[in-house]
Amino acid sequence: MQKIPLALAFEGMILAQEIKNPDNPEGPPLCGKGVVLSSSLIERLNKIGVQSITVEGHPVKIEGEKTLDEELSSLDYRFRKVKDDPSMKILREIYRVQIIKAKN
Amino acid sequence: MGNKVNEIKRIVQDTKSLPTLPGIVLKISKLAEDDKSSVNEIARLISSDHILSAKVLKLVNSPFYGFSGRVSTISNALILLGVNVIRSLALSSSIFEIMEKSVVGLWEHSFGAAVAANTIAKILQLPDAEEISTAALLHDIGKAIIKIKLEEDYNQLISIIKEKDISMIDAEHEFLGTGHPEIGEWIARTWFLPEKLIEPIACHHNVKKSVIHKTKTAAVHLADILVKASDFGFSGDDIVPRIQTEAWDKLDLNEKILEEIVQETEDRLIEAKNFSLEIQTSGEKQS
Ligand SMILES: [Fe+2]
Ligand SMILES: [Fe+2]
Repeated sequence: MQKIPLALAFEGMILAQEIKNPDNPEGPPLCGKGVVLSSSLIERLNKIGVQSITVEGHPVKIEGEKTLDEELSSLDYRFRKVKDDPSMKILREIYRVQIIKAKN
Repeated sequence: MGNKVNEIKRIVQDTKSLPTLPGIVLKISKLAEDDKSSVNEIARLISSDHILSAKVLKLVNSPFYGFSGRVSTISNALILLGVNVIRSLALSSSIFEIMEKSVVGLWEHSFGAAVAANTIAKILQLPDAEEISTAALLHDIGKAIIKIKLEEDYNQLISIIKEKDISMIDAEHEFLGTGHPEIGEWIARTWFLPEKLIEPIACHHNVKKSVIHKTKTAAVHLADILVKASDFGFSGDDIVPRIQTEAWDKLDLNEKILEEIVQETEDRLIEAKNFSLEIQTSGEKQS
């Protein structure tokens, strides 16, 4: 999932998290998880003052953001001192899968 | 080297120059320890401090504790979560301020560790999930103290870490003759924190050393590793340490459960990142 400013939202994106009402964050959410954005919905959210939303996948490229390859080699670098540890190999593999999933 | 350790100990234990916990937090701590004090008494005490009340409620409803958007009053919070949790929350909200004043990266590391620890505790169904989060939030408090009280040494440590490609804890032992777990333990004792918080602080890099609260220590040890693996925040170095066998066994880990923990932690860290930014900016507004 990716959190993006509402200004970058477009039709067809799927909400990965509910949208809270900015005037009443503890009240009922404006929109539930899994909802597909329409342009009228985006407009309505904009009027209400919603600043950002969390959507599924990774639809927006952010400047300075690492590419998949960069992410994976930086993961390997972080694990450089525990390369031969069996349980750390398992952990690194779990993160590798997570990173790939987050990029898709 | 011995002189250096003594000097550090002296500086850290010089309570006059230390970051202090607000008196109200110490009072809450005392009340919470006393079986005779009632929930109402504690609720009244917290409610008398509006800023603390607001902070506690904000934390209760944050991704940090995972009760999102359901708790709106201190008495509700106390009834729902219990006295110990609220004590942890009051303590955490004060620690936030001390950590914020040190380094943003370290603060994010600590906050991320708290989120990870909370996730670990919930998935493994460990008792006292909130205390485990608080312990994780505090685990590197010793680093914050080094940064605040011994800034030159802190900068020296950072260059040693880069130069030799070693971890913060190794650099501390080499250069200071002691480490942030010990320093954290000293300060935790001057704050009269309970043993279940002190042990994870003192032993999170050496789980074997933990005696009474080994499960909490193991959870904090793992949480620290997960935030580092996730590249969330900055703890002083970028080296992921190994999960110690004692921790792996104590938590009865396996690949499947570790995967579940990582997945859930990663999801919550995304929320935590936003919350961390939010709480930092709201802090700026207040001061
Ligand atoms: Fe540490
Ligand atoms: Fe740490």
